Amino acid sequence: MSLAGFEVEVQRSKDDGGVVTEDMTLSMGPQHPSTHGVLRFVIRADGEVMKEAIPDIGYLHRSIEKIAEKVGWHGFLPYTDRVDYVAAMFCNHGWSLASEQLAGIEVPKRGEYCRVIADELCRIHSHLLGVGSMAMDIGAFTPFTHAIREREYLNDLFEELCGARLTFHYMRIGGVGWDLPAGWIDKLSHFLDRFEPLIDEYDRLISFNKIFVERLANVAPITAEEAIDYNLAGPNLRGSGVRYDVRKDEPYSVYPELEFDVPIGTGEKGTVGDCFDRYIVRMREMRESCRILRQCVVQIPDGPVIAKVPRNLKPPAGDVYVRLESARGDMGWYVVSDGTAFPHRCKIRTGSFSAISIVPKISRNLMIADLIAVIASLDLVAPEIDR
Amino acid sequence: MAELVGSLFAEPTWVHYLGAALAFGTIIVFGLVLPIAGITTWVERRIMGRMQSRIGPNRVGPAGFLQWLADGIKNMLKEDIVPSAADGPLFRFAPYVVMVGFVGTFAALPFTSALIVADLNVGILYVTSVTALVVVGILMAGWASNNKWSLLGGIRSAAQIVSYEIPAGLSIFPIVMMTGSLGMQDIIKLQGWAPWSWNLFANPFAFVAFFVFFVSALAEGNRTPFDLPEAESELVAGFATEYSGMRNLLFFMAEWGNLYVIGAIVTTLFLGGWQIPFTFENKVVQHVLEFATFFLKAYGVGVLVPIWLRWTLPRIRVDQMMSMCWKYLVPIAFVNLIGTAAWMIWSPLWLQVVTRMVLVVSAAAGTMMFAHRVVYHLEYAKLTRAHLLFNPLATTRSPG
Amino acid sequence: MGLGTYFRSIKDAITTIGEGMAITASHMVRKPFTIEYPDRLPDGIRVQDTLPFRYRGILEVDLEICTACLACERACPIDCIVIEAEKDKAAGGLVMTRFDIDMAKCMYCGLCSEPCPTGSIHHTPEFEGADYSLESLVRRFVRAPTVAYRPKKTGETDPVIKPILDRGMRYLAEFAKGGES
Repeated sequence: MSLAGFEVEVQRSKDDGGVVTEDMTLSMGPQHPSTHGVLRFVIRADGEVMKEAIPDIGYLHRSIEKIAEKVGWHGFLPYTDRVDYVAAMFCNHGWSLASEQLAGIEVPKRGEYCRVIADELCRIHSHLLGVGSMAMDIGAFTPFTHAIREREYLNDLFEELCGARLTFHYMRIGGVGWDLPAGWIDKLSHFLDRFEPLIDEYDRLISFNKIFVERLANVAPITAEEAIDYNLAGPNLRGSGVRYDVRKDEPYSVYPELEFDVPIGTGEKGTVGDCFDRYIVRMREMRESCRILRQCVVQIPDGPVIAKVPRNLKPPAGDVYVRLESARGDMGWYVVSDGTAFPHRCKIRTGSFSAISIVPKISRNLMIADLIAVIASLDLVAPEIDR
Repeated sequence: MAELVGSLFAEPTWVHYLGAALAFGTIIVFGLVLPIAGITTWVERRIMGRMQSRIGPNRVGPAGFLQWLADGIKNMLKEDIVPSAADGPLFRFAPYVVMVGFVGTFAALPFTSALIVADLNVGILYVTSVTALVVVGILMAGWASNNKWSLLGGIRSAAQIVSYEIPAGLSIFPIVMMTGSLGMQDIIKLQGWAPWSWNLFANPFAFVAFFVFFVSALAEGNRTPFDLPEAESELVAGFATEYSGMRNLLFFMAEWGNLYVIGAIVTTLFLGGWQIPFTFENKVVQHVLEFATFFLKAYGVGVLVPIWLRWTLPRIRVDQMMSMCWKYLVPIAFVNLIGTAAWMIWSPLWLQVVTRMVLVVSAAAGTMMFAHRVVYHLEYAKLTRAHLLFNPLATTRSPG
Repeated sequence: MGLGTYFRSIKDAITTIGEGMAITASHMVRKPFTIEYPDRLPDGIRVQDTLPFRYRGILEVDLEICTACLACERACPIDCIVIEAEKDKAAGGLVMTRFDIDMAKCMYCGLCSEPCPTGSIHHTPEFEGADYSLESLVRRFVRAPTVAYRPKKTGETDPVIKPILDRGMRYLAEFAKGGES
């Protein structure tokens, strides 16, 4: 096992009987059944209790930011799907927002509503996977399959909307690529009618199960100050009690016209900011997304869905930083244009990257089983970390 | 068995006895144990599939029934990989120790009134001791794999099994006290065929002892919620990570077959064993019915309920498991022990009869409440189906 | 830990575990959601027929209506489309000698089908494209040098080409057009 530049100081200690004990260095390697992608942790443990858990990232680095400089403004949109393939609509949205702000394009109202519908559906999509994987990592396999079953409905909805089930490429610079097909809004309403009672059933099956709660409550609590210091975002930040949501605090698109709450963690089963809070914030966010979707279905106006954008887009030179509330938190896009048809530089800030940086700090003196719970509760996805 | 050998041969020597023992062993292992273990995997995968809104294996054989045979043959044909840095002899020997620990219990299980390989007068003690042999096997597997994750799994398992022996043993004591003997057939003979004559409802302490024993036996069998030694999400397969092919299958057969042994022990101790209401003149019919009763009870409680639990519950962490054993199960088991003793000394006959009836009625009421809850969930699920417009196989999905 | 918490935790464990078991038991009697693809589909349905019109499967080029404008080649971000076309006065226009799409590189994004003027390059509902060799994944659409299509201003009347053109234009109509509803 290569430590590849990690200076893990193995501690030897001698107890009274003259027995020399040494910490164990484990590699929770890139191939690991606890999904979340290819992540590696180098763990220094004394038996079951960890002294240090150092993340080793880079196994899924695909130079996406560099590719932006080669393929141009329109051509980069399919690549943004791959930045976080679990919640691909948000990445599309981020790049489109950045390009529109640079080029001064305004998106028509119906286009904005289509974007919000796609975003919120994708939020449910992503949270279902996050919550399901968390249940699976804790050991309950049935809730995972139930979550995947619900995602199948969403996959079908997305398939009708944009033709793909995972890498949507739905949004374009200036709007969205396709208008809502005939009958799709009805299908969406029926999905919401189906889905909201199922969140309750999911809660009853696993969320408040005593064993599940015992595994998550009081494990790795992150205080609000720590969360802000470490740049956490999204449900991780809100689980620690900080009421910050980009949709409310720096609204974009049509969110000012929509009514929704922002759930925060209140320590109902343990300390504020423990794994259970982050989990329950995600469950509640799914409900809020359903609420937003119902409003969108009613309020969506008629009209064009995309503005006129030249095929050979050349935004004026400048830079812009846009942020939007992705499923994993505050996703930031810093794009620099130099006036040509190709971006000069694109930098993506993702919630998972900050989340993985807090793992060494909060996993001190936790057990290895708890490390799994922590990684799952932070909803890390490797593609977002490595891009 | 000794009489059988004596009746077949005029002057049986040790060779005859050894041959008979081997023959019997082969019949039991290949005819009873392996099929039970294999078929349990099929049952588990089908039930697990339905609980997860999907079908289980259904291609190999009718309703997928031959899947376990296919898996067994595939595993036998697989390459036998022994890691070069692993401790060779220990690595190879470990699965067999685990299998011995598991198969050895079959020698003392009372299938019918006459069908028991060895009616030891220390039957139940023998069974619990032999199942403890698996600890040695698991530790050997974990250590010899030369893999830190396997080692962790092996040590967790050793701690778990050794700790949970205590509440399991303590829960057996009330039954032994009530029976006055350790022999398996004696325990069954003192119960009757009717639910109210089972040891389960004899007194409230035995009732609680049933649940304590069930939980401890689950923990000893490495089943969820206690499956940390093979926690798939953390340790791939725990102590069995480095094993491939038939050796791996031996470990898992031991685990699934152990479920049946748990069921058999629970049936013997608490659920009245093979007792049936009628006696028949035709001994074959009688024994077949007794075997069926025993098998159904053992399978229902020992296999189906653990499968159900496994696919519902998450797993408990190591320290929580230890605290549950020492802080919850052991004190409760002690209370049961002393309570049963006090009950046996001081309770008058009328109280015993009334208690049996009360316990049977409350168990039935509990089951009714549970069924009511299941029906509630089905009704609730209709909420979600009535609006189902999706037909993924509709050939006209959108205009064009 | 106080005696009250002790017994309350036992009670919580029993009730929540019982609730979970009731839910999984209720799932046992519900209909499973599996669609047994590919060999046990009901009534001989092909999954490709159930996919929506917008589905982005394997690319197909209707060479009869291809105008050799190279818009798709320019739009593709991965450069998986290679077209060779030359002006040929004798044939009366552009003649295509090569139209290759490397499906191994294609990421099914749809950027090529949007700018096509006639809808000649489009995604099909085909998704079963697995093969044993990498070379077979390159789809070569031009077998012999083909004259490029020239759209008629008064509408197409050729009975062979008209349905293909109609389908292509219907495919294009699905895309959102800038500034129109």
